[in-house]
Amino acid sequence: MYDRIKLFVKSTRFKTAIWYSLVFLILEIVMGSIIYFYLRNSLYAQLDLSLTKQCELIYHFVSEKSIDLYEFKPDSIYSSPDELVYDLAFEAVALNPHNTFIQVRYKDKIIFKTENLRGYHTTLSDSSSQSQLIKTFSNRNLSPHEIRAAVLNKNGYQIVTAFPVVLINDALNSLSDLYIIIAPVFFLISVIGGTFISIKSLSRIDSIIDRTKYITARNLEEKISGDEFDDEYGRLAKTMNEMITRIKKSIEYMNQFSISAAHELKTPLTILRGEIELALRSKMTPDEYKEVLQSNLDETLRLINIVDKLFFISKTDHSLIKINKEKTELNNFVASLVESMKKVAEEKNINLKYHSNQKIYAEIDIGLMNQVIYNLIENAIKFSDECKEVEIRIDKYNINKASISVTNEGEYIPIELHKKIFERFFRLDSSRNRGTGGAGLGLSVVKSIVEMHGGEIEVESTTSGLTTFIIKI
Amino acid sequence: MKILVVEDEKKVASFLKKGLEQEYYTVDVTYDGKAGLDLSLTENYDLIILDIMLPLLDGITLLREIRNAKLDVPVLMLTAKDSTEDKVQGLDSGADDYLAKPFALEELLARVRALIRRKDKVKNILLTADDLTLDTQTHKVKRGDNDINLTPKEYAILEYLLRNKNHVISRMKLTEHVYEYQFDPDTNVIDVYINKLRNKIDKDSDRLLLHTIRGIGYMIKEGR
Repeated sequence: MYDRIKLFVKSTRFKTAIWYSLVFLILEIVMGSIIYFYLRNSLYAQLDLSLTKQCELIYHFVSEKSIDLYEFKPDSIYSSPDELVYDLAFEAVALNPHNTFIQVRYKDKIIFKTENLRGYHTTLSDSSSQSQLIKTFSNRNLSPHEIRAAVLNKNGYQIVTAFPVVLINDALNSLSDLYIIIAPVFFLISVIGGTFISIKSLSRIDSIIDRTKYITARNLEEKISGDEFDDEYGRLAKTMNEMITRIKKSIEYMNQFSISAAHELKTPLTILRGEIELALRSKMTPDEYKEVLQSNLDETLRLINIVDKLFFISKTDHSLIKINKEKTELNNFVASLVESMKKVAEEKNINLKYHSNQKIYAEIDIGLMNQVIYNLIENAIKFSDECKEVEIRIDKYNINKASISVTNEGEYIPIELHKKIFERFFRLDSSRNRGTGGAGLGLSVVKSIVEMHGGEIEVESTTSGLTTFIIKI
Repeated sequence: MKILVVEDEKKVASFLKKGLEQEYYTVDVTYDGKAGLDLSLTENYDLIILDIMLPLLDGITLLREIRNAKLDVPVLMLTAKDSTEDKVQGLDSGADDYLAKPFALEELLARVRALIRRKDKVKNILLTADDLTLDTQTHKVKRGDNDINLTPKEYAILEYLLRNKNHVISRMKLTEHVYEYQFDPDTNVIDVYINKLRNKIDKDSDRLLLHTIRGIGYMIKEGR
């Protein structure tokens, strides 16, 4: 259980959901704050505007009449300056829907106070000489809330209108209350929604994981489903399917290679075992025993040859062959090789002919190229009809390239096999028939070496039976 | 008993032939599938030893062709491949037995004996005529209590006659059965062997078993 939770916490699905929800939460907070401050500011601005307007209105009414309010003497109509001002500014004061605090001062005398200020010995005073300002202050007697005031200083008049911010606070408080209730609900919804979405989208990853786990070297023909979609998961499935196909191909190649290698090794082993067992179960003359031993030796050499070639091929497959090129005069190099093979050729009454009329230099690895020429001449002799000629030529090819060709007279190689004969373990039917004992590796080794030199090898064959292998290097 | 070996690897074919001949079998050898098919359809073999990887025609196809021709000759498959699928494929195409290379010669010979025995249905290991006995497994031949030493050809002739005892076997049929297919049946070599054989089995006995039927052939006839 603990492990499953741990796995879940580590899963992309969980992380995605968490990230999604966190981002949502942050957005929610930012959004809430923006709304809160915006609303607050606009409410204050509205209040300030209305207080300022009221100030201006009162000033307008009071100053318009140009009555000396400073030297006010009570008369039959007005017993105090308050009454006079009230009359003057009636429109501005009487229509006071929110019960605003209003105080009017002329020079150092307060000439008007609204009803709501009268019971208190409070004056709304401001010492600043700024003609117009907005300020906030607290007065426990007037209101438990902060009070916002607009002050207008003009021509000796100081008009103050003030109002507690109670309405603004109420509005902002109810907004926060609403927010505190709604935010967690939204957060919860976002967590659930996020989890759901991530589970849904990532479940295809899970199916890819399950399928991939199930695929082993034994069932590589299986495919990961969902590669028909064009989204990321579809592309992932498609890419993995392509990879599986590539792996399948190389495994098949390796299997085929080891089956073929085993087959090639088994043939000499079968001969060795059979001949030895036959020799042991029957009485033979010393000469016959000698014959068996000679044959055993031949088969042992064949085994060694196959193993060497397999080893060489496996080294080339892993790019482990080091090639040491040096400038070599091909004429002498090939001529001495041809000379050394004359004995082998004589066994089949074959005449080795060598043609070259100029000195040609090439950058080659002598050891490796030795193998190439040896193999080609050996093949040419092997597949040549008896009493014919095998011709080896060296020519200039292009400006700084050389071509080495080996021609024999034997069997026609159909054009569709011209590529195949360089494949590993490929043997012409006739080669099996002749019992020439090759493993089908020689030409593949030759091709590897030539390609390592940056050269190429081709074969030409005429229906009359002239076959030529040409190396261009 | 006549056996056909179809194997492209000449040395393998050669030691198989030698080993089988030591066991008194007559052995034909061919190195490619086409020739193998031709021979199996025209000649009368008691067993075919067949390699799978063959030039011109592979062993599996060859075997199918033989079975299509309603030939029920026992076939022993030889191959370098020894995976289960290959064995199944070989047996399903009509092979009676399967041996993977490199095999033990003794095992091959034992399987050959088993296949030929199975073909004989009667499972007659001991062939007899009066007091003459021939053990097909140990290749020991006795007249009464006396051991008789026979050359492989003499043995093959005697075995064939004993299997068909009391029936006349034409010289032609006998030649076909004990000689390789290239053999020229017009020579009188078979008469020479018959004479040698008669000397060995009938010389010390008053009851003659091996009879010459003039103009037709030979037979082993139980007296009484």
